[in-house]
Amino acid sequence: MRVIIGYGNELRGEDSFGIEVIKELKKLPLDNTRLISAFQLTPEMVLELLEAYEIIFIDASFNEDNQYALACSTTQQNSLSLTHHISPKSIIYMLNNLYNRSPEFFIYSMMTNSFNKIKDKEEYENSIKLLSTHLVLIDNQEKKCN
Amino acid sequence: MQKNKIVIDPVTRIEGHAKITIDLDENSNVCDARIHVTQYRGFEKFCEGRVYTEMPALTARTCGICPVSHVIASTKAIDQILALTPPKAGVNLRKIINLAQIVQSHALNFFHLSSPDFVYGFDAPKEDRNIFKMMQTHPQMAKDGINLRAFGQKIIKELGGKRVHPTNIIPGGVSQKIQESQKQMILEQIPNAMKIAQETLNFFKTNLHKFQKEIDSFANFPSLFMALVNEDGTLEHYDGVLRFIDSEGNILQDGIEPKDYKEYIGEAVEDDSFLKSPYYKPLGYPRGMYRVGALARLNIALKCATPIADEELKIFKAINGGKPLLNSFYYHYARLIEIIYALEKIEELLKEDETMSENVKVTSTVSENKGIGCCEAPRGTLFHEYHTTKDGIITAVNLIIATGNNNLAMNEAVKQVAKEFVDAKSITDGALNRVEAVIRCFDPCLSCSTHALGIVSSKIEIRDHNKRTIEMIDRN
Repeated sequence: MRVIIGYGNELRGEDSFGIEVIKELKKLPLDNTRLISAFQLTPEMVLELLEAYEIIFIDASFNEDNQYALACSTTQQNSLSLTHHISPKSIIYMLNNLYNRSPEFFIYSMMTNSFNKIKDKEEYENSIKLLSTHLVLIDNQEKKCN
Repeated sequence: MQKNKIVIDPVTRIEGHAKITIDLDENSNVCDARIHVTQYRGFEKFCEGRVYTEMPALTARTCGICPVSHVIASTKAIDQILALTPPKAGVNLRKIINLAQIVQSHALNFFHLSSPDFVYGFDAPKEDRNIFKMMQTHPQMAKDGINLRAFGQKIIKELGGKRVHPTNIIPGGVSQKIQESQKQMILEQIPNAMKIAQETLNFFKTNLHKFQKEIDSFANFPSLFMALVNEDGTLEHYDGVLRFIDSEGNILQDGIEPKDYKEYIGEAVEDDSFLKSPYYKPLGYPRGMYRVGALARLNIALKCATPIADEELKIFKAINGGKPLLNSFYYHYARLIEIIYALEKIEELLKEDETMSENVKVTSTVSENKGIGCCEAPRGTLFHEYHTTKDGIITAVNLIIATGNNNLAMNEAVKQVAKEFVDAKSITDGALNRVEAVIRCFDPCLSCSTHALGIVSSKIEIRDHNKRTIEMIDRN
């Protein structure tokens, strides 16, 4: 099962990017995919990821220069930290070390510096559509391969 | 260069941003130490002008760990403004959600933030004193922490509507009745959660003797204690009246209705911190220093009124011959007993017939222009006071957050530990860890506590006798 987690604060402008992508994906045809939207990543979330062979994290990432650019990273970005909310790296670490699970994972981020409002609605919605379509395309290609 | 001031900035493994300053005298001995909350949230101010209906959702955003308590204190304040008495089912469901939050929040503090100190010791290399090392060496303990937190969060999500910032707790009660399937799902998980809680408490009690030095010096001083308590003296997190006791266990003031809190609690502001310093008014500032939270609640309560927790409470109280335990290291112990209590109480409440009632809320319109909501959050007593116009527009807000109540005691605690462990001529990582660890005893949620005008990690600043910073240690 592929799990896509979109996370962010819907009250904080473009920080809600991940949540909005999940809303969009719910309208689209995806097989064998579980969609999770969350305010933040939390430690107990690992229990929902034990059956995942692939995890896709979607969030908004602070960047002053490349507004609305989309980036996909397989590097374990973010710090290894654990408080009441944690990073993708910590989630993967927990799955590896506590549950002997090694899912593939990807982090898709939309670059933004606007965490108070949606600055450019058209650009913002375009980024949501672009990533949603991309994720469906990956799913379709996988179906063809199978 | 002679060192005269130590700064720990940021303080690690706590919620929010803080720094610690350690002041040295002319002989480079520690003479004072303070915790400074360096972030500002400002909810008291920006809530002005909002409609009262927005307050639960707005104030829930003060925290990602204990939003339930904020929603409950907020809705209780609005209950008063609307002159509402929620039905029993609504109250019971609010209580269950609040207790679930006690479970998940206490589990977070013990397993994820504090357990590395207990397992590896306070002098272990700092790269080992973290949950990720725990995952390698004590994977079952790490999993237990995840499972216990997941249990609490699951209840909050099921009954509160959302895991973080729940929406089903509303003025007049709750918005949805509990379904039989939800009740059964929770009841089925209680035995496993209880097993984890009891095993963890036994682990802690078995290892307690290893930390005698810390027990003796981690905020081991006389202070008052405050908490909500039922009229029969039993532990309470939702209803009840306020009680103050002194360090000998004498009741100073009892039966205080939360709406009268301002008669007994003053709020001082220090110029070097955004965290207010509440104090017990009759003793003045700063003599009226008091502590809240799990330790205060168990020092004050005569009984838990649930069987397993009561057996543990007897053992807990016997440590100091029935008198209050004054050492903040015992906050950890108290939190573990409270987890057991919460699990028992959740089961009890779920099994009450009235909890299943369809009648979970009542509605009304603005009747009063002032409301005060109070409950016990994981970290202590929480107050929300709102003033409104006749149309329900908020004109003034006063918040006393649980962590704020402990501000004076936390400062005293930091000073005591710094004096005991910090040698300015040779500052060890173990000493600095203890300075931070004493703050973790209080489990401060500093991002919640700074609204009059905040700590996420720790910086320690060392200052000379002229208050000049001579060394800054970043603990990240």
